[in-house]
Amino acid sequence: MNAVVRMAVLDLRTVAPYRYQGLVVFGVVVALLAHNRPVVVVPALVLLVTSQVAAYPFVVADKAGLETLYAVLPLPRRAVLLGHYAWAVAAFVATATVGTTLALLLAWGESVPFGGRTLVTVLTLSWAMFVVTVAIQFPLFVRFGYSRISVLCTFLPLAVIMLAVTRLHLTIATFASIQAWLPVLWVAGAAAIVGSAAVAMAADHRRAG
Amino acid sequence: MSSDLAFALRGVGTAVSSSFGLHEVSFDLPTGYVMGLIGANGAGKTTIIRCLLGMRPIDTGEIELLGHRAPGPVALRQDIGVVLDHTYLVGDWRLTEVERTLRPFYDRWDGVRYRGLLAEFGLDPRAKVKDLSRGMAMKLMIAVALSHQARLLVLDEPTSGLDPVTRDELVGIIGDFLLDEGHSVLFSTHITTDLDRIGDYVTLVHGGRVVRTGTKDDVLAAYRVVRGGPDDLSDLVGVQLIGLRQTATGAQALVRADEAGLLGGRVLVEAPTLEEIAVHTGARVPASAGGAR
Amino acid sequence: MRVVLSNSAGVPIYQQIKEQVGTAILSGELAADTALPSVRALARDLRISVITTTRAYTELAAEGFIATVPGKGAYVRPLDSALVREQLLRQVEDGLQTALDAARRAGLQRDDLVQILDGLIQAERISQ
Repeated sequence: MNAVVRMAVLDLRTVAPYRYQGLVVFGVVVALLAHNRPVVVVPALVLLVTSQVAAYPFVVADKAGLETLYAVLPLPRRAVLLGHYAWAVAAFVATATVGTTLALLLAWGESVPFGGRTLVTVLTLSWAMFVVTVAIQFPLFVRFGYSRISVLCTFLPLAVIMLAVTRLHLTIATFASIQAWLPVLWVAGAAAIVGSAAVAMAADHRRAG
Repeated sequence: MSSDLAFALRGVGTAVSSSFGLHEVSFDLPTGYVMGLIGANGAGKTTIIRCLLGMRPIDTGEIELLGHRAPGPVALRQDIGVVLDHTYLVGDWRLTEVERTLRPFYDRWDGVRYRGLLAEFGLDPRAKVKDLSRGMAMKLMIAVALSHQARLLVLDEPTSGLDPVTRDELVGIIGDFLLDEGHSVLFSTHITTDLDRIGDYVTLVHGGRVVRTGTKDDVLAAYRVVRGGPDDLSDLVGVQLIGLRQTATGAQALVRADEAGLLGGRVLVEAPTLEEIAVHTGARVPASAGGAR
Repeated sequence: MRVVLSNSAGVPIYQQIKEQVGTAILSGELAADTALPSVRALARDLRISVITTTRAYTELAAEGFIATVPGKGAYVRPLDSALVREQLLRQVEDGLQTALDAARRAGLQRDDLVQILDGLIQAERISQ
């Protein structure tokens, strides 16, 4: 377990030199949405920012040859893969927290009502989008490396989400009426992450190392 | 499992591509010495190292590393320092960041030693990894390896592209590292002069196979270099000419020392240098040379 | 301890070390019980392989010049040990053989040689 945490911290340090660029993107997204319904801020941030931040260790690893570092460090291969997922979840939690705070502040600033029920619904929606993104991207990154499939990986999850939203005519209002499904979504999301990790480990061709 | 060997490869084979692979690779290094792995580019040195370090699976044979049958425990990596011809760190990390990042993984990380080595090697702790020259980057990776008290240093072409001064500094670093008789070094290179003096053991690699392995003195004693006129080296019976090179003014080849007695008196027979052995055993075979390998 | 290696001497490195250390011991430059650098320290300082220095020390120990103690290093043995005496006798023999070969080429007889020997001893006595 300790090794997984150390790996997640390694991922943090891998992307840390690029934190200022990340903050700029973060700020731009918030600024663009500030005058819209603040409640959209949270899922938007989670979708756009987290999918980039969660995946960024793969981007840097590809460029810097970090797979060699992972093979040199006293770090089991399982911990490397699980650490990537742990980092992604940590990034989600951080983004969701900051995003929620911002959304609440914006809502209060614009005197828009933003109740607890809406908040929970929005967070659930964000979690679902995050899970879809990471569960699809990560096994592909592990199997093929970032550079070979970067375009596919960036847009595939977005495409899936857009498809789901339009085909199922999902809106936040619709969602709000299906409160009973929320806990299911959280659990299903967690299961999807775990399943994705299992797929990633099976697809990993560096297992011998 | 004997701990007198730093590592051993026995009958190792692996397919790298449809046209290249390792075949029956066997050699070992007793603890406390430095082995040079010599071969031309593409001979298989890097593949051998990756197999030894468990970064590449093998199809046949077995590998023993620091007394453990491979794949050994992950904790074995605490004792191994790996220096390649490129850094495998994030370019935008500063050297202080490198320490903060790697320290949690090593039980015996010595921060004082790391900072001391950076100073000794003339590396600015505030510099970023990507700003280091090739020679400085090599020294950084060595500083990292020494800072976690590695027992085995594996260096893959650490000096290719480096000036003689830096190459000489590496020789000194290896000498210091070997003051401890529990330390061993594997050093792959195509620059044989690096090993002429400090190499204890030598393994020659060509085409994915081991041509010769043993102490440097044994390897040197196993061959003779033969020089003669343009026609002096043709029609020799019972002598295998290795890497025959013919020009208008002369011919030169390597022969096995035990066959040297069969050469006539017209040719000059001498003890070879490591360079000559590497050049002749690594020569690409011309299509029709009779008696040449 | 002073060891200076030559790249072009044509003599193997371990032999050069042996000869220089041996000479220093025989001349008294390296006194008995002097501690010598370990094989590894010597290898590091001279930038040569550990196997080479080990070989030099092993042969020096076999010829009685030094003794190696595992874990403590090597030290110079006293000069009057029987094996060292053997070395000195061999040097005398080699030197006399060389003189003999030169004398034969010059056409000298035994008496001439003895005369030269007496002259040298005499000169040494005077200069002391």
